[in-house]
Amino acid sequence: MKSILLSSVVTALLVFSGCSDKSPKVDDTSSASSTATQEVEAVKTETIASDNGMISSGSESISDLESKLTSVYFAFDKFNISSQMKNNVSADAAIIKANASSYSLKLEGNCDEWGSDEYNFALGLKRADAVKKALVAEGADASKITMVSYGESNPTCSSKTQDCWSKNRRVDFKLLP
Amino acid sequence: MKALFTLLFIISLSFANDATIEVIKKVESLPSLAVEESSTSYDDTFKLKFFKSFIADLNVISIFNVDRHYRKTDYDANDVIVENKDMKYVLRYQVFEDDSGYFNAKMKLIKESQELMNKNYRIKKKDFYMFISHAMAYDINEFMGEPSVEWMKRKVIFSRVVAPKKSELVIADYTLSYQFVVVSGGFNVFPKWANKAQNKFYYTSFDGAKPTLKKVDIKTGKTKSIISSDGMMICSDVSDDGDKLLLTMAPEGQPDIYLYDVKSKKHSRVTKYGGIDVNGQFIDDKNIVFISNRLGYPNVFSKELANNNVEQMVYYGKSNAACSAHNEYIVYKARESSNAFSKNTFNLHLISTKTDFIRRLTASGINEFPRFSKDGNAILFIKNYKAQSSIGIIRLNHNKNYLFPLKYGKVQSMDW
Repeated sequence: MKSILLSSVVTALLVFSGCSDKSPKVDDTSSASSTATQEVEAVKTETIASDNGMISSGSESISDLESKLTSVYFAFDKFNISSQMKNNVSADAAIIKANASSYSLKLEGNCDEWGSDEYNFALGLKRADAVKKALVAEGADASKITMVSYGESNPTCSSKTQDCWSKNRRVDFKLLP
Repeated sequence: MKALFTLLFIISLSFANDATIEVIKKVESLPSLAVEESSTSYDDTFKLKFFKSFIADLNVISIFNVDRHYRKTDYDANDVIVENKDMKYVLRYQVFEDDSGYFNAKMKLIKESQELMNKNYRIKKKDFYMFISHAMAYDINEFMGEPSVEWMKRKVIFSRVVAPKKSELVIADYTLSYQFVVVSGGFNVFPKWANKAQNKFYYTSFDGAKPTLKKVDIKTGKTKSIISSDGMMICSDVSDDGDKLLLTMAPEGQPDIYLYDVKSKKHSRVTKYGGIDVNGQFIDDKNIVFISNRLGYPNVFSKELANNNVEQMVYYGKSNAACSAHNEYIVYKARESSNAFSKNTFNLHLISTKTDFIRRLTASGINEFPRFSKDGNAILFIKNYKAQSSIGIIRLNHNKNYLFPLKYGKVQSMDW
């Protein structure tokens, strides 16, 4: 009786829970997917002020200084600064202390295209925060540093390659007067 | 033997209402439905466009095996078209322009030469035809006594990235056929409806010195700034009554979840972990689920608002970076392969907090941003596959996914 009961439970579970493989029945080819989407009007954009266009009162322009600062790159799903990148940060910190101490520094965190969700934005921000902490440890003024994350929305490279994705996982430097 | 059947019956009852179990209604078992067109106004291109939209809606309600042949007949003809004689149901409709230039539609549902129901529709502009199509499908679903598809009439708001750091906010119907750009220029993301009526919405603006949460009243067109934060500012969820918001902010470079009171304009910190806490979603007045990397990778956790007890909710998936909750159900995005950049990378899964079942909801591409419908019967999501961005809809009880592609740009985020 015990074995009958056991086998009946197993049978019941098989019948009502389906097999263990939860592969979905996806109907991507349904007629719905062929529904024509109405053509919308052309993209509206407006020109926004570019920081690079500003000229400082000093001998070196903001854009000249910015071009000397090297972006910091990160591994997939990571926000710690690799030993390879620590030299970049040290060099950046030296430039900031020597020539850019009168400016505010905006750190822009970025991610690759794998995800457009909040987590990706947070990952970008933690990258910016890691660079901020490293710069402050090297003597930069924390009160002059702000941070922002653009998630995956500010790529410098759009090819579908690993090399390209690694270029997008970065923190950029922007100097503000 | 009697005991066996009793046992089977009890088990079947216990699983009957669990959405994590795949319920496969075979297409053959659904009643057949043919659609006959009798329109008198408008050109053939438009007539076909409306027909396609209507067929898509009838497919999405998932209660008929819909015949997709485009056949014409007289609206008042006594008999159905010969080819449709064997169909269980025939739906005949007509669209026409009246003397005032309004767009009109009328339809009748026929079964065995008997008219079961009929209904008329009228709207000012022909451009809004898809809303009539959705309403017609909604009414047929209601008439057939099926669970409501109220979500079909709701609007979708999404942000579309058109260039690096440039986006626009778009309001659309659930199929994206109708699109209205409501905010353009600059970089604006994470739109979120502010109330059930869908006449106000929040979004994050990057145009100021700090990311700022803004609120737009669609009727008046007025925009006001709500709150700013250095680093990050996202409205992750709005309570059912619209009085409370779950925000992700990072005033000290530390992304955490905050509870914002719309009336008092005060906020309090809900999570205090030193890593990443984002994507807070109300389960009810007292509990939330959210995404955290406190185990070293992103995963779904729950928490009571009043205390610091955190519970892991998902034990499957290597990287679960987004979620949406409805009662005991949680839908989340998971990276399944060990190779981060292999194909088939991100899929949506559904779990119940009351059982151990996991149901995979998607099969290919990058599937993200899941959002439950208000009644929990459907899930809207973003699919990016082969350079095509689409909005998808999953009918949980019918085990079907439908995709509605975006003409250009990439969907960054959306709300329903």
